[in-house]
Amino acid sequence: MSQVQARFFTENKKYLIDDVPFSIPAASEVADLSGVINKLLEAKNDGHKHVEFDFLVRGQFLRTSLASHMEKENISTEEVVEIEYVEKFTAPQPEECIMHDDWISSVEADSEWILTGSYDKTARIWSMEGKAVMTVAGHTDVVKDVAWMKRGENLQTGSLVVNDWNSERNKVEARHCCRGHAGSVDTVAVDPTRTKFCSGSWDKMLKIWSAVPTVEEDEIEEPNRPRKKQKTEQMGLTRTPLMTFSGHNEAVSSVLWVDAEELCSASWDHTIRLWDAETGEQKSTLTGSKVFNSISYSPLCRRLASGSTDRHVRLWDPRSKDGSLVLLSLTSHNGWVTAVRWSPSHEHQLVSGSLDNVVKLWDTRSCKAPLYDLAAHEDKVLCVDWTENGKAIFVIILTCLDLKLNYHYPYV
Amino acid sequence: IGYGRGVFIEITHRCRTRFKVALATSENFQLSAVTSVCARLSQTKKSLFSDQSSAWFISSPSCVMFLWRTVKWAVSLLVFITFSVRSQDIRNTVGNIPMEWYKDYPHIGYDLDGKKIFKPIRNKDELDEFLDKMENPDYWRTVQDKMTGADIRLSDEQVDLVHRLQQGKFGDVNFNEYEPAIDFFSNEVMIHPVTNRPQDKRSFIPSLIEKEKVGKLVHAIKMGWIKPRRPKETTPQYYDLWAKEDPNSILGRHKMHVPAPKMKLPGHQESYNPPPEYLLSEEERLAWEQQDPEDRKLSFLPQKFACLRAVPAYSRFIHERFERCLDLYLCPRQRKMRVNVNPEDLIPKLPKPKDLQPFPTTQSLVYRGHSSLVRSISVSPSGQWLVSGSDDCTVRFWEVSTARCLKTVEVGGAVKGVAWNPNPSICLVAVSYDDTVVLLNPGLGDRLVCTATDQLISSYEEPEEVMDQSVQWAVAEGEGHEQGHRLILKHPKAVRQVTWHGKGDYLACVMPDNGSSLQVVIHQVSKRRTQNPFRKNKGLVQCVSFHPIRPYFFVATQRYVRVYNLIKQELTKKLMANCKWISSMAIHPGGDNVICGSYDCRLAWFDLDLSTKPYKVLRHHKKALRSVAYHRHYPLFASGSDDGSVIVCHGMVYNDLLQNPLIVPVKVLKGHTITHDLGVLDVTFHPTQPWVFSSGADGTVRLFT
Repeated sequence: MSQVQARFFTENKKYLIDDVPFSIPAASEVADLSGVINKLLEAKNDGHKHVEFDFLVRGQFLRTSLASHMEKENISTEEVVEIEYVEKFTAPQPEECIMHDDWISSVEADSEWILTGSYDKTARIWSMEGKAVMTVAGHTDVVKDVAWMKRGENLQTGSLVVNDWNSERNKVEARHCCRGHAGSVDTVAVDPTRTKFCSGSWDKMLKIWSAVPTVEEDEIEEPNRPRKKQKTEQMGLTRTPLMTFSGHNEAVSSVLWVDAEELCSASWDHTIRLWDAETGEQKSTLTGSKVFNSISYSPLCRRLASGSTDRHVRLWDPRSKDGSLVLLSLTSHNGWVTAVRWSPSHEHQLVSGSLDNVVKLWDTRSCKAPLYDLAAHEDKVLCVDWTENGKAIFVIILTCLDLKLNYHYPYV
Repeated sequence: IGYGRGVFIEITHRCRTRFKVALATSENFQLSAVTSVCARLSQTKKSLFSDQSSAWFISSPSCVMFLWRTVKWAVSLLVFITFSVRSQDIRNTVGNIPMEWYKDYPHIGYDLDGKKIFKPIRNKDELDEFLDKMENPDYWRTVQDKMTGADIRLSDEQVDLVHRLQQGKFGDVNFNEYEPAIDFFSNEVMIHPVTNRPQDKRSFIPSLIEKEKVGKLVHAIKMGWIKPRRPKETTPQYYDLWAKEDPNSILGRHKMHVPAPKMKLPGHQESYNPPPEYLLSEEERLAWEQQDPEDRKLSFLPQKFACLRAVPAYSRFIHERFERCLDLYLCPRQRKMRVNVNPEDLIPKLPKPKDLQPFPTTQSLVYRGHSSLVRSISVSPSGQWLVSGSDDCTVRFWEVSTARCLKTVEVGGAVKGVAWNPNPSICLVAVSYDDTVVLLNPGLGDRLVCTATDQLISSYEEPEEVMDQSVQWAVAEGEGHEQGHRLILKHPKAVRQVTWHGKGDYLACVMPDNGSSLQVVIHQVSKRRTQNPFRKNKGLVQCVSFHPIRPYFFVATQRYVRVYNLIKQELTKKLMANCKWISSMAIHPGGDNVICGSYDCRLAWFDLDLSTKPYKVLRHHKKALRSVAYHRHYPLFASGSDDGSVIVCHGMVYNDLLQNPLIVPVKVLKGHTITHDLGVLDVTFHPTQPWVFSSGADGTVRLFT
């Protein structure tokens, strides 16, 4: 088998070539095929610049020679092979490094600003250029998770203080202090309509809070506790939960909104649970075998990705009713996977951070190995996030324990 | 049969002389003649009857014929005897008695009329007798009748009879013993039947008895009492003829045949034309010659010949044959008997560790920060935080999931023991250093719980009567209070271990001391009371522990573990550890099993229901064990040792009393570096996850998941 009949196609209109089957050597690899496509494109239009391509054979990335890939995937060499080519995702480069005083526990990026929560009991806002814009103090304990409420306007942090931050006046004001959890709050998530948010805590509970700013206090403090009153004034108005979901047997480690009506939570009791946010009923349970550290949901491919206290990133279908169903297991890490995050604009890409100091960028079409290892950190990675610019420019933001905050611009 | 006198013939097969004629007579009878005839008769017929089987004797038709003839002959004999007796008519009536009874009498008996029969006058001497014998022509046929004493001259017929009897012939001349045999029942079918008897009725009417019998059998078969006979097994039954053969028997020795050792094949050196490198040089040859023949590597000198024809006769042939014979003769022909034991059979059948998941397998996190060896660790009841006490005089609080040190509290000495209060509604950590035990409030977790704990401590009111206590209770103030110190307990001696009761109110402290009875004290935190439960010193106390459910208290001394009932205040059990020095102890959450680690590398598992001796002793560690721990939910226990490893074992305890605990070592966890000959100092499990923490002499705490 020296020659294979192949037909190339792409969805990108920019790089269209004629729909003709080619006979290409079976031993050719990605670079050879990329050269072939480039030559075809040059012949078609003169002003073509060299572009690196990646190739997909039946939905799987080509990583070895064509012949061995087809043998592994059991593809007949007699027929014409359909090969899709896409522009190669270039290796992300560290763009910016933001130094932090203490460990960063969480990060959430906006199109303009980056919000970080830290173990020094503060949350900070940074601009995309790495300039510290604001420090939100006021927490009495470690900030475990942060989330933007409205883009550029509100933010809330892990110990459940909602702060109002006006970007123009550069002033922060504590709006609410949400009381009700009996353990440390590890995760918060704001719902897509930006009117509610959900928190998960070590006390095994999930609570939903209103995000609508009000002036009045929900609960009137008893007058015989003046010390507490004083503190409350510092923190803003006290707020009580709208709804409480109980069902987990262990600490809730991660929570997210699948859509406006559905909540998803991961816990240390080895389960991922889906909840109806309106009624508070538990819809379904996905059972794993290890503690879940982090989950992420992609509305593009409708998959859940989970990172747990073993080496694997697992993909789940939350809609399957028959209990646990692991679609795919991405194995390359050497430590606990502490954070996973789907790309907001690409349905196949996700990023995972692990305690083995490596962040990996995955494409679900090549599940054997990650696309890239981002090994710019010298200590444990605790959280990762993507940001989306207006012009669809991707930034991966990583946080880690070496007091660094790295930007990676994959391409501009 | 008889003429007034009874004569019968008895035939018996039991007698050696199978034929006996017994004559019984009521008359005076010439018995002697008859007996002599009988004797003669039995002699002659002996050959006929001896060695004949009785079966033949009775059943054979020829035998019947013979019997019939014999009876005939005997009857004729009797007729003859009777006749001869009658003709003389001198009948002696004395009967069959010994005649010498009449020896001294003149008569010899009595005749039929009752008159005496006198003895005939015998005046003949020897000479007369002789002359008579010489002269009397009838002397030889003259016999004396013993009954009458008269001389009787035998007639010619009588002499003839005697002759015939002597010759073994029948007495009757006319009797032909060889009459032609008439075969009445021959194999030939006769036209006329032997008897003209009509057929019996029963021969053509079905038998009622048989019918009844068959009916019974049929009924029995119907009722299932009799089973119709099973079909014969058609497969032939084989068996191994030699299965149980003794291997030491002669045939067995054939099997144990040891072949003679093979001779070494000749190599290049033996060749008549060896390659030059095999030929010895001059020095080698000299050395060879000087060597003792025993020491020589080669028994000959390799030689080179131009052609095969030039090779001389082999002079050492006889010598070589002799040596070969010696080899064969001295070859040991005894096979060594070896016990064939498969080593895998000796290993007990245990489930594979793979099936016993989950258990910790890999090191996940390292908690770095201590600068000296970490003596003790404890996990909060929620499993969120970890506290570690070190020789660098600090206590550190860590976040379990990230290995972040959240708080460092300095104390006044090297920390020997830390213990987190197991009650989730109280946030207190007991820390022991030197002779002090400090209760710390780390301020982690829910603020309400922390403040409630502080309030609980501050709400204590001094009792009116002050008791004299061996331990002084003090409330921390100032800087210590800022750091989290709440209560300070000053003990008279150095405290080595602290442990909480499951409810979180009682705290036991160990102060090892050989001479004093004050080794263990139990504090009650809510009432700030201290009591010494023991009056006597029963040995150096190593560690103590509360029973998780029942009011028992475990005290481990160097060799024994004593179980006390705290309510009844008595000794319940004394466990013998069979080791030299117990270092650590852990109680199964079910409360019926105890593990003890010892400095002589052993881990003993006690089943309290089973015995006071260890149910199992594990010797997996190479060095002294420092710490053992049970998991609260999972069937796991772990042991840390000076060899730097933590061994995790699966220890399943069944509710069924009949089933013994299943103990399977599943994983050796390595990670700690050995510092100052110390490896792992403490191990503890996460309260909810199958994770194990270990603290080591290298100043780190490690989490294995």
